[in-house]
Amino acid sequence: MKQFFICLFTLTLSLALSAQTTVTFETFDLPAESYLDGSDDSGGFNAGNIFLPNTYNPEFASWSGWAISNTTDTLTPGFMNQYSSITGAGYDGSDTYAVTYAASPINLVLTGTAAGGTVAGFYATNNTYAYLSMLNGDGFAKKFGGETGDDPDFLLLTIKKYLNGALSSDSVDFYLADFRFEDNNEDYIVKDWTYIDLTDLGDADSLQFLITGTDIGQYGLNTPAYLCLDNLTTLDRTTPVRDHLRDVQVSVFPNPTSDRITVQWPEATSGAIVVYNALGKAVRQTALQYGDNLMSLHGLPGGHYTIVIRTERGWTSKPLIKR
Amino acid sequence: MPAKSGSLLCCFLAVLPLTAVAQPDTLLELPAVVVSETAVRSQTMGSRTRNWSDAALRGRTYTNLGEWLSQESGLFIKSYGLGSIATTSIRGGSADHTSVLWNGLPVQSPMLGQLDFSLFPLGFIDRVQINFGGNSAAWGSGSIGGVVQLDNISPADSTYALAGRTTIGSFGLQDHQLRGHYQNNRWGIQTRVFQRKATNDFSYRIRPDLPEKTQTNAALEQRGLLQSLYFKNRPNQQISLHFWAQHSKREIPPTTVQNQSLATQADRFIRTALQWEANGNTTVWKARLGLFREIIDYQDPQVLLQSLTSFWTIRGEISGKKTWGDHHLMHYGLSYHWITAEADAYQTAPKQTRTAPFLVYRYGAGRWQLQFNLRQEIVDGKFQPLVPGLGITGKLIPHISIRGKVSRDYRLPTLNDLYWQPGGNPDLLPESGWSQEGGLDWQQGFGRHRLSAGVTAFNRTIRNWILWSRPEGQSFWSANNITKVHSRGLEYRLQWQFQTAAWSAGISMGYDYIRSTNEIAISQPRLEAGAQLVYVPEHQAFGQVYWQWNALQIRYRHTYTGSVSSLNVGRLPAYHLGYAEISYPVYWPKWQLSLFLQANNLWNESYRVIERQPMPGRHFRLGLEINFHQHLKKR
Repeated sequence: MKQFFICLFTLTLSLALSAQTTVTFETFDLPAESYLDGSDDSGGFNAGNIFLPNTYNPEFASWSGWAISNTTDTLTPGFMNQYSSITGAGYDGSDTYAVTYAASPINLVLTGTAAGGTVAGFYATNNTYAYLSMLNGDGFAKKFGGETGDDPDFLLLTIKKYLNGALSSDSVDFYLADFRFEDNNEDYIVKDWTYIDLTDLGDADSLQFLITGTDIGQYGLNTPAYLCLDNLTTLDRTTPVRDHLRDVQVSVFPNPTSDRITVQWPEATSGAIVVYNALGKAVRQTALQYGDNLMSLHGLPGGHYTIVIRTERGWTSKPLIKR
Repeated sequence: MPAKSGSLLCCFLAVLPLTAVAQPDTLLELPAVVVSETAVRSQTMGSRTRNWSDAALRGRTYTNLGEWLSQESGLFIKSYGLGSIATTSIRGGSADHTSVLWNGLPVQSPMLGQLDFSLFPLGFIDRVQINFGGNSAAWGSGSIGGVVQLDNISPADSTYALAGRTTIGSFGLQDHQLRGHYQNNRWGIQTRVFQRKATNDFSYRIRPDLPEKTQTNAALEQRGLLQSLYFKNRPNQQISLHFWAQHSKREIPPTTVQNQSLATQADRFIRTALQWEANGNTTVWKARLGLFREIIDYQDPQVLLQSLTSFWTIRGEISGKKTWGDHHLMHYGLSYHWITAEADAYQTAPKQTRTAPFLVYRYGAGRWQLQFNLRQEIVDGKFQPLVPGLGITGKLIPHISIRGKVSRDYRLPTLNDLYWQPGGNPDLLPESGWSQEGGLDWQQGFGRHRLSAGVTAFNRTIRNWILWSRPEGQSFWSANNITKVHSRGLEYRLQWQFQTAAWSAGISMGYDYIRSTNEIAISQPRLEAGAQLVYVPEHQAFGQVYWQWNALQIRYRHTYTGSVSSLNVGRLPAYHLGYAEISYPVYWPKWQLSLFLQANNLWNESYRVIERQPMPGRHFRLGLEINFHQHLKKR
């Protein structure tokens, strides 16, 4: 009986100290066989304690960053089926999951009680387009193994973290496909939801996802660099380290701009202004002060950007277009 | 003088690289067509030119222009396989640096800037001419690497004829052609039709120890009609009209790293060319009008893709040619070009109008001739680079002539470069640069022997080279004027012919050395400064021997293509190809029957022209042609 009470106490204490949140994306409540690609110009998706940035280009009807999907086509190859996971569902038969194209670094921002904390892990799989491309080849990309079946091909997902503005050198690697085995029978392409443990990364403000591979030409990676993500679990803090500053009325003008912008910050707190390009890469950074903050975007190519303002109290973001 | 000629020949042979000497002879160059006043614009002084007459083409009409050029011209043809897309690279230029003229009218796609040579049946052409090097001052945008001119010529007066040809070959090839004409001294009509089918299901091996594979989804079917009308409304005036309709459907085979392809491409086009020519005492007036409509329907049901693109072009030109005395000739005119195109990736159908006044002045005195060209193109009201060209040819001593040319050349961005979404860039500048070339030719007969040799050196730098790239911070690929390409090289040719009453023989050989390098390092796409462009061989050699005894003809041709770099797999190895043909015509007064057998890739070389695209091994063609011809009775 004593032992029972000790166990109960230990369990209760551990639950109280390490509350966790699992983001399942089911709250998006999508109609059947549909997806969100950011065409509503939302700039991203808030789900649980994470924010998935998205940049949508209405001129080209294209998106970068993240999309949310519940499409189930596991048979159709090609770009037109870019939103489907190869399992035909989310993790554990659920409906909805997130999709990203990460040939260049893509960020996932931790918010609320997860900001500055540790991510336990998430489930990952290939999307149908990438899986069938690696399995059969397509007009642009090779089937893995190549002409002879012996090429040591791979598709690698690398996850790093940002903490206090610094990108970690440590990473967690996960092979979405691996054909490097001596015995070709051991070669595999991931086709199930597979758990990736991220606790070794430690505390983070955001995660960075990058997919690299062996089918590389002059024009970069030929393999479609997609990732499907579901059931991401954060180990939350009882007190948020950084919060999404939804109530702060920050102004950025002119927007669209041709060169210089003014960020009008109404609070006495200081921090940093970081400009990210559509690929999630920080391309400009400056200190944040109360009042008008002038910033030059000279030298940056025209396109879609995101301004992220970080203070000790939290963060907020604004989309920005440079002509 | 023979001593001098001999020493020059020795010098030429001494500098002929060993790589060329090591290769069997290749190509028999036919005697150059004499430059006439009417050809003043097409045969720019100072540049190297090759011609093939109707007689040289007739025996090969079962093939397409791409395959024929790769075997006969010494040009590097980027072929994706039997019946698949074939484009060219001349003197280190890209595919859209070759101008292709059909009866004087450019026929490249305004969307892509290039022509698929595999869609051009050789039987629809009566004369081919290739001008090597830049010729923008004569023919405008895109004439940077070279100009391929394809002409139809009216049949001889007072004749009528009918010809039929059937060819069968490996991989399900069936080619059937009919051609007939009636021509009196006032008007004429000529009709040509063809139908071609092939399964192209050839076998190949990835490696000798691996099982044989069979090419799939590679069938093609083509059929076409070329209708020509000729009318002499006055003794010194002629009107000609050509109407060409063609439909081609081909399957797109999988690459060697793709399990299956279900993709198909249908190409349909109508090309109409109207020409009027009037010959005065000192002035020749000429007007051309072309109306082209092309549709490309690409479908890949596997990936739920259907891409329908199409364009209209109207091309017009009026020109006059005037001579003064024995030394001066002026050719002047105005070109007009209107294009529009449709594609899902264009937000709206773009339209473009190009107007270009041009001027050619030629001065000839004694053994020397000089030509100056000038062209100013205006695109939608915007002036493009003023393009001059200056060429000179002359005889240094009997049998030896020298030539040289300097020209400015340019290429306008294609409609895809400008308007394709995403990535089209309406602010693109034209590619432009200067090119220089110089050459020495020797030609001499010794009894029944005839020898000729030539060497040409060229140099060209093109700035604002348009490349689809991804600038730092941009999430999509776009067309940009971001690089500079320097092309230079040497071309050697050598030929021997021997002729008696009963038989003749000949040997010819050639070697091309071409360096065409990107001069500015780029990260995306990954290009190093000084690196050779992809699919531009540094070394090419070709050789040919032929022997003719009475009517029997035997010919062997060998080509060597050096290693090239590719987009994904590094370097493709060099390869040798052998080609042999035997033909035997039988003549009667009005009839001719001809039988031929041809072997391609005689040594069964396993090779790739484009990475991941297998090519067929040894394969054969057998053909029979029947000709009937008759002179009209004089009234």
